[in-house]
Amino acid sequence: MTSKIINMAERIKDADDRLLESMFESAPIADDGFSVRVVKRVRRKLWLQRLALPVAAIVGGIFAIKPLADLVTVMANLSFSVTSLVPEELVTATAGLIPQAPFVVLGAMLLAACLLGLRAIED
Amino acid sequence: MSNSEDHQLVARIVTDQDTAAFGELVRRHQSQVRNFLRKLTGDIALADDLSQDCFMHAWDKIQGFSGRGSFIGWLLKIAYTTFLQSKRKSKRYAEILDEVGHVAVAESRAYAVQADEVTDLDKLLAVLTEEERAIMVMSYACGLSHREISEATAMPVGSVKSVIFRGKEKIRTSFDIKDHQHG
Repeated sequence: MTSKIINMAERIKDADDRLLESMFESAPIADDGFSVRVVKRVRRKLWLQRLALPVAAIVGGIFAIKPLADLVTVMANLSFSVTSLVPEELVTATAGLIPQAPFVVLGAMLLAACLLGLRAIED
Repeated sequence: MSNSEDHQLVARIVTDQDTAAFGELVRRHQSQVRNFLRKLTGDIALADDLSQDCFMHAWDKIQGFSGRGSFIGWLLKIAYTTFLQSKRKSKRYAEILDEVGHVAVAESRAYAVQADEVTDLDKLLAVLTEEERAIMVMSYACGLSHREISEATAMPVGSVKSVIFRGKEKIRTSFDIKDHQHG
């Protein structure tokens, strides 16, 4: 109720108000490709946002591959020295089953990047 | 331009990130936003750049549009903030230039228009402060209610009313505005 009264009070305009309104009035501005430019900027921004994560994962992976491979090698050596307590036949049998650890890491990262890339394309 | 259509377009943007719906919103409101910023800056090219930035900010913040008020009111709030940010940036830039001993080419953009294209409205706007100009333009050119202006400028409704009153008084004392009534 109060807001209605306020709105009604606002609508009561004196001659000055009407004059000012007519002076402030201006012709509508033609679009002239303005909205197309804005939408292009928005689409570009969306694409950059969607690509940012996969690209960051790939770049991070490239930088991290060497130290990760070293770490995995050290861990493998450590685990093999621990398993020296285990009977030798068992160790040799399981070692043959484990593929090269650095390749596993690289493969996992590439898979993750591909999945993210596919999701971006799908979107 | 119906408010409910605006709200439907906003809903499509929020749920599907629909750029076509956003394009439609830009088409519907670009004229008012550009007119508002042209009147604030007095510079067509700068106003159009700021309008683009305003719509980009609107895209980023569209999830924050509650739908309670009009979309144009919300949009003009962003336009006004974008204008103030640009003013602050150009002022800082001028200060840096001053510090390194250059003449500040990018003078703080006081309301200035080309001498050969000064209109009656430009003369009116020139006597107002930046805040008064923004509020008068929102009220008389964009047709926002006092409440919408209060939300756009983060000022109490009472202050908005007194700024409008002060602006009118300034215009009345600086110009014999009754003359325009009779052509």
